[in-house]
Amino acid sequence: MIERTVTIVNRAGLHTRPAAALVKTAARFRAEFTITKDSFEINGKSIIGVMTLAAEKGSSLTLRFDGPDEEQAAEAIVDLIARGFDED
Amino acid sequence: MKLDPSSETRKRSISVGSLFEATKDRFKLTQLNGANGFANEIKDKNLHRPGLALAGYVGLFTYDRLQIMGNTEIRYLKSLDPEQRRNAFTTLLEFQIPCIVLTNGNLLDANLLEAASAKAIPIFGTEFSTTKISYFLADFLDDQFAPQVVVHGSLVDVYGVGVLVAGRSGIGKSEIALDLVERGHRLVADDVVMITRKGEGILIGAGTDLVKHFMEVRGLGLIDVRSMFGIRAIRYQKRVEIIVELEEWKENEDYTRTGLDDSTVTILDVEMPLVKLPIFPGKNVTVITEVISLNYLLKHYGYDAAKVLAKRLEGMIEHKGQGNRAINYFEHDFE
Repeated sequence: MIERTVTIVNRAGLHTRPAAALVKTAARFRAEFTITKDSFEINGKSIIGVMTLAAEKGSSLTLRFDGPDEEQAAEAIVDLIARGFDED
Repeated sequence: MKLDPSSETRKRSISVGSLFEATKDRFKLTQLNGANGFANEIKDKNLHRPGLALAGYVGLFTYDRLQIMGNTEIRYLKSLDPEQRRNAFTTLLEFQIPCIVLTNGNLLDANLLEAASAKAIPIFGTEFSTTKISYFLADFLDDQFAPQVVVHGSLVDVYGVGVLVAGRSGIGKSEIALDLVERGHRLVADDVVMITRKGEGILIGAGTDLVKHFMEVRGLGLIDVRSMFGIRAIRYQKRVEIIVELEEWKENEDYTRTGLDDSTVTILDVEMPLVKLPIFPGKNVTVITEVISLNYLLKHYGYDAAKVLAKRLEGMIEHKGQGNRAINYFEHDFE
C-alpha cells in the first residue's frame, strides 16, 4: 500500500470536470484507490464519492493506493492533481 | 460510429402521375383537362407562381417546377381580352411545365385547357387556398426529395422518445428491442431502419414495406412482432431522437462519467445525441435504455441532473462545505 498527501492547487477546486478526470485516470489502474479528506474516506474511482469531498483549493487529501500497479497509479494521480487538472 | 454515408440516397425526380395518385384525396385535387402528361417529371421540390411569365417576362422562369396559379394569376388572365388571354397562357405552354395547379376552385377557359392538353401539361384544380395548397405540396415534395439513409440498428419508441439502438452485428440489438417491446415499448423497425430527413434537423425512421415488424432472433429465426405482441407493440414511424451505440466494454475507451460531455453523431447532416453504452454480461441494457430515454425527457424539459449536481458542488466548494449526512439528526425513527 502507498500513501500520498496532496493539496488541491487549481482555483476552482475539485469540481465536476476535475472529478471526472480523476476517476477516469484512476479507472485505468487495477489498484484500489481511496481518498480521505478530514477523516471522510471515499472510493477514488467513484465520481459521486469524489464529488462528495467538495475539495476546495488548498484542501489537503490523503490518497491510498493498494494493488499490483499502485506505484504507477499513485504517480499518475499525484501528477494530475499537481497539474491542477490542467485547468488554470 | 459507422454510418456509411455512401448509402445516402434521394429521389432525383417524381412523376406527375405519382404525385397526383398520392395526394389527390388529401389535397382534393381533380384533373381539369385530359392531358396525357402523367409521365412528366418534377425535379424540384420548390413551387412556382408564374405571374411574371403570364405577363410576358420569361427570364429566369423556373418552368420545370410545379406551377401554382392562384387568384392573382386567374384574375390577371380574366382582365385580358380572349386573344390576349390565349397569348399570355400559351407563353407558359412554350415551356416544358410538368403540371399546373389552380387554387381556390378557379377554372380556366376550355380552349386554354385544351391548349395545355395539346402540350401534354396536366392541369389540376383544388378548392384549397394558394397558401394552404402551397404548404401541402411543398411539404409533400420536400418529403419525396428528402435524403434517406439505411441504418443497421433497431428503432424503438421508448416512453415516446425515438431511440435508435446501433452497434455491430450480433451484439444483441434485436434482443434489446424485443425486451423493450416486452416491457411495453413500441418497435418501429429492426435491423433495417430507413431514416429520412424531414425539414431541417428532423430525422424520421421507418421500416421497409417488405419487412415491417418482422425481426430475426439469433438461434430462433424470424418472428413477427406485430402478430406476436399485438398492435400496442409497434408503430410505423418515429422521430429519431437519440442514438444508443452498444459496444463491448473496452479497457481504454473513454466513457463519460458525468454525462456533461455530450457526444454526438451526424446522420444526414443532422447532429444527434449519442450515448456509447459499454455492455458486459449481467448488465441490464434494457433498463439502461429506458433510463436514457427518461433522462433525455428530463433534459428536454429543462432538468439536467449532471448540471444540477455540478452546480451544487461548485456552491459547496465555494462555501468550503463538505458532503455531510443528508439528515442532520435522526430522530426516533427506528423502523
